[in-house]
Amino acid sequence: MTTAAQVYQEERMALAGTELYLLKGGEGRPLLVLHGVEGHEGWLPFHDALVPKGTVYAPAHPGYGETARPEWLETIAHQAVFYHWFIERAGLAGLDVVGFGIGGWVAAQMAVMCPQNLGRLVLVNAAGIRPQDSEILDIFIIPWKQVIERGFYDAEACPEYHRLYGGEWQEFGGPREAGRTMSIRMCFRPFMYDSSLPGMLGKVTLPTLVVWGGDNRIIPPECGRLYQQAIPGATLHEIERCGHWPQFERPDELAGVIQTFLAQ
Amino acid sequence: MAPTQYYYFTEQPYTGYDPAVQEEHPALRLTLPNSLYDSELASELYNRYHDEYQVADEVGFDGIMINEHHTAPFCMQASINITGAVLAKITRRAKIIMLGNPLPVVDNPLRLAEELAMIDCISRGRLVSGVVRGGGVESLANNVNPAHNRERFEEAHDLIIAAWTRPGPFRWEGKHFQYRVVNPWALPLQKPHPPIMVPGTASPETVIWAARHRYPYIVLGSFLEQTQELIQIYRETAEEVGYEMQPENIGYLIRCFVSDTEGHAQEQGKNFFWQNGALNKQPREWMAPPGYATVNVAGIRRLRAVSRAFDSLAYEEAQKNYQVVVGTPGQVIEKLRYVRDLLGVGHMCLWSHDGYMTHQDTVRSIELFGKEVLPALREA
Repeated sequence: MTTAAQVYQEERMALAGTELYLLKGGEGRPLLVLHGVEGHEGWLPFHDALVPKGTVYAPAHPGYGETARPEWLETIAHQAVFYHWFIERAGLAGLDVVGFGIGGWVAAQMAVMCPQNLGRLVLVNAAGIRPQDSEILDIFIIPWKQVIERGFYDAEACPEYHRLYGGEWQEFGGPREAGRTMSIRMCFRPFMYDSSLPGMLGKVTLPTLVVWGGDNRIIPPECGRLYQQAIPGATLHEIERCGHWPQFERPDELAGVIQTFLAQ
Repeated sequence: MAPTQYYYFTEQPYTGYDPAVQEEHPALRLTLPNSLYDSELASELYNRYHDEYQVADEVGFDGIMINEHHTAPFCMQASINITGAVLAKITRRAKIIMLGNPLPVVDNPLRLAEELAMIDCISRGRLVSGVVRGGGVESLANNVNPAHNRERFEEAHDLIIAAWTRPGPFRWEGKHFQYRVVNPWALPLQKPHPPIMVPGTASPETVIWAARHRYPYIVLGSFLEQTQELIQIYRETAEEVGYEMQPENIGYLIRCFVSDTEGHAQEQGKNFFWQNGALNKQPREWMAPPGYATVNVAGIRRLRAVSRAFDSLAYEEAQKNYQVVVGTPGQVIEKLRYVRDLLGVGHMCLWSHDGYMTHQDTVRSIELFGKEVLPALREA
């Protein structure tokens, strides 16, 4: 097996009033991977699993530490503009997008905004739609360690949990403070949804796969069904015994599901 | 130099529940179930506290300090302006010292400017209009983005001052507030506008902001050494912008209960610990949500001496370091003089009621302040 250090590189690109930081690995068909509220956690085994089938672009969103927030960028829709700007600047029109959590919300917004820049769309436990029968966990009023833990189906059994979150826990400040601030800035009110999004998603004609953790205790599986209903022709894949972070809990299985869909 | 001013203060605690329930909840606020709230008792308490304000006014306090908190049983004032309006009518001489309106959580600062102008007119010019950022938890309680807290504080302040002083109509196109017409038909009696004060406990940012605006900064019961550090920041900022800090630029809130006998005062003073450490028990995400502040939260916690759980040692320590002053008039006069002169403050806010102190004991304390303590402090 190749080690992570050999398959990816760091890149920085001046863009939109900031400098975009991203990790890039692999060759061939480009795939943009947008992280969620957990922030940019570096190059993951999940990225490794994708690399044999294409080029993975894993940027840190503006406001999430490695990429500074430009003054103008305040909302999810602004993030979507930012990434279209990136695609156009990098000459990557037609690339596929995978988005996790609020990164999934950004991807959905991108699909509404400018579909001609995109190929296939994968939304994994995406925020952005208000559930009807349940609630999205209020991650802004409970301790962050609890948020992270509740995102796993079984944190203790997950090597990625121990690798990323097993060390000393910093309650205030630290490298994740910027990302938490940016999430609050964008998603505080209304909390984690845009009530117009389901209506707008009706115009999306991109092939779309919605993936949900069957035991997601942050964004309920109901939201996966609502995404599927809102996007014409979308398919829904549920991963059993999996929470909000399948990229950590089931990296290989998730990569396989995504690759199968992208190859169709 | 203006003589030091003395203000009466109570948080208006709602005491109809057992603070021991804190064991079952993240903190005694925000999500503490309001099924523990008894409106009958609340009605009695509001009216009782107002009666005590009247006594404070009659015995000669220079002002009555009031405040505001949300979803918080330790302070029944969900609207400082409502208490202010009541004081405007039921008191005659005392200044109405608002410390203060939490500007960032206000969605319509123009209406706030109107309400304050009404209170100033109705009270015949007795309003002191303090402004605060509000703790992080106030942003959660009012569902206002914590990441916008400082921006909204500053813009709301600028808008209110403009509404009071700039002839209308004019437009306001800000980042957080926009108005097609700013033209309030309620303007303050005091010109150019009511005095403004800024209370705080720890944030140097806020001290600097107050000093730049020449607004008095009132330290809310922080330890004396830390208070001196904050005052030093004020002094240096004042020098930078070209004036010399005076006692009237600085105030201090101190817990102080007076009684006829030392034994009774000591017993009643324990009420300052009635929440038994609850103030200190608050998730970081409530006290300082990401984006709310850049200050070290551990530093804020260190300042809250009376936030400790009650025991005889904590009580003794709190008295030794002047966090709590209790005793006979003679005993408290000496201690209050020491604190006033050590800090060189022109405003002394006397937190004279808390917890389960009875109406009778509270009134007696207020009377002893009026008859003995305040005259002695004004003397020397």
